[in-house]
Amino acid sequence: MVIDADTLRHMSEASVSVELETEDMTLNIGPQHPSTHGVLRLVARVDGERVYDVKPVIGYMHRGYEKLSEVRTYPQITALLNRIDWVSGYANEIPFMVAAEKLMELEVPDRAQYIRLILTEMARISSHMVFMASYPLELGAATPLFFALRERERLLDLLESVTGGRFHPNFNRIGGVKPAYGSGSTTRKWIQDLPAGFFEETTQAMVRIREAVDQLEDLVAGNEIILARTKGIGVLPPEVGAAFGVSGPNLRASGVKFDLRRAENYLPYDKFDFEIPTGANGDCWDRWKVRLDEIRQSCLIIEQAVAGIPSGPLQAKVPKVIKVPAGETYVRAENPKGEMGYYLVSDGGGGPYRLKIRSASFSNISILPWALEGVLVPDIIAIMGSLDFVLGDVDR
Amino acid sequence: MTSSPSETEAGQAEGVDQAEEVEQADHPLQGFADEVAEAVGGTAEITFDTVKIKVSAGDWVKAHQTARDQLDLVFFSFLSAIDWAKEVEVGDPLKDEDFEERIEMLTTVSDLSAGMRVTFSADLPTEKPVIDSLVGVYAGADWHEREAAEMFGIDFSGHPNLAALYLPDAFEGNPLRKSFPLLSREVKPWPGKVDVEGMPEDQSSEQSDEPSTENPEA
Repeated sequence: MVIDADTLRHMSEASVSVELETEDMTLNIGPQHPSTHGVLRLVARVDGERVYDVKPVIGYMHRGYEKLSEVRTYPQITALLNRIDWVSGYANEIPFMVAAEKLMELEVPDRAQYIRLILTEMARISSHMVFMASYPLELGAATPLFFALRERERLLDLLESVTGGRFHPNFNRIGGVKPAYGSGSTTRKWIQDLPAGFFEETTQAMVRIREAVDQLEDLVAGNEIILARTKGIGVLPPEVGAAFGVSGPNLRASGVKFDLRRAENYLPYDKFDFEIPTGANGDCWDRWKVRLDEIRQSCLIIEQAVAGIPSGPLQAKVPKVIKVPAGETYVRAENPKGEMGYYLVSDGGGGPYRLKIRSASFSNISILPWALEGVLVPDIIAIMGSLDFVLGDVDR
Repeated sequence: MTSSPSETEAGQAEGVDQAEEVEQADHPLQGFADEVAEAVGGTAEITFDTVKIKVSAGDWVKAHQTARDQLDLVFFSFLSAIDWAKEVEVGDPLKDEDFEERIEMLTTVSDLSAGMRVTFSADLPTEKPVIDSLVGVYAGADWHEREAAEMFGIDFSGHPNLAALYLPDAFEGNPLRKSFPLLSREVKPWPGKVDVEGMPEDQSSEQSDEPSTENPEA
């Protein structure tokens, strides 16, 4: 007998659909659970292996960044924003910087924009690599972890060589980026910007990452158990996803060809050729596949950016004390986990009057009660893991 | 509010002169803003490339229904609020004191093709704000409304389960209200107006220094 995904699923369906007198049980999953990437608690009502409903309990990591932002100056706030989604800390800074620069009507120099773009894509690859490592692990396959994390480590070394930080770079400045290793005036010492050999090493890293992605695909896509656990599981229709605010790779896996890198103009993505990978079925497998393909596209973007980066200053001329003129705006960006946006209200002072943080994972996991209704207990892990959330990004 | 052309939005903002009210008609988003405003019966404003539509609190649900069904704005981005208050415990008070105290509701919805997005806004009274729930229109509003309810003390009528989302059940107060103090700043104002600060107990006589987001060098 050939055991494919369908057979396995039917076997497991059959084993739980026998008519018996059963009793509901309330099962607490978490707050500490290996598959939650932080502290999330699920209160699940189960009958045998069947889940009736699930209530996610969040807030264990709530740090109140929106309130804290109201008592900080603009340059201080980026240090907080790094810690929202710590797996892609750098990418969190971008929409906030763009929002502040929009209110100040600042023109960010091209070179700074390219550096931001390269580092954002690196953050995307490293975030997706964590997913590539952890998701098969949650399904019982340990080997992909070593392939994925090894390449991610090299990428983090590159990120560190530019910014000085692996997870919390705090590298953006209003009007541009901080000169690496530099001190003093950013406009005077712009020649001293990226570390020597950065571009060569980045190009080499992209080659290695492509190899690793191919290996990962071989390892995972050829694994029957993983296929059985993910294909046809946790199907998310696009209209449901949109109404819940599910964004990023999770929505694209459901066939929606929508990417804020194309739809918005926060970084010069219009100068680059890249595809927007989408899935066909919106199941766990598609969510894995879309992320894998996105790594390849990010490699393409980085290579184009490295080849075409202009020279010039790293920061626009800004006053010594940053004050943002009165006004409000919403700026959103395509972060590795989906739409990350900031609604910034300034009254002309040194800090925002109100900063609403729209984080991707918060909306992405708000779909859990819908998605987990009626599934089998082992599928909870498969579905949750495939949504790729970080609790810091949920609780803020 | 003036429109803001900026290089990062070059595609959208080309050909717009530096920003007088008169020239708002030239903003590339003006046509879209007018269309939305007419469809939902609100007033449009473009604030730094963000289309903001002001509707009355009574039309709140209807406006979102129209946006979703007629304008194809199917993606729910976020719901939140702003506390426009004259007395602030935390942060700096507004410089311009000529405004009305209120809670301003905000939502942003967008389409999934061209990336057109609209921010809806409605004003509620600061005391006991109540507004109809959007859960029936955008399912994702559920958690956002629970967050706004505990953080701002807004009551969403028709919400299926307005339980606390982040805060413990026994928590009192609405942390994102401007009247809610930030305890860490009460103990030790930071960043203070001087670089070197004594310990809190040393300062008890000169505690008059207001915590400020202003840079000490300003």
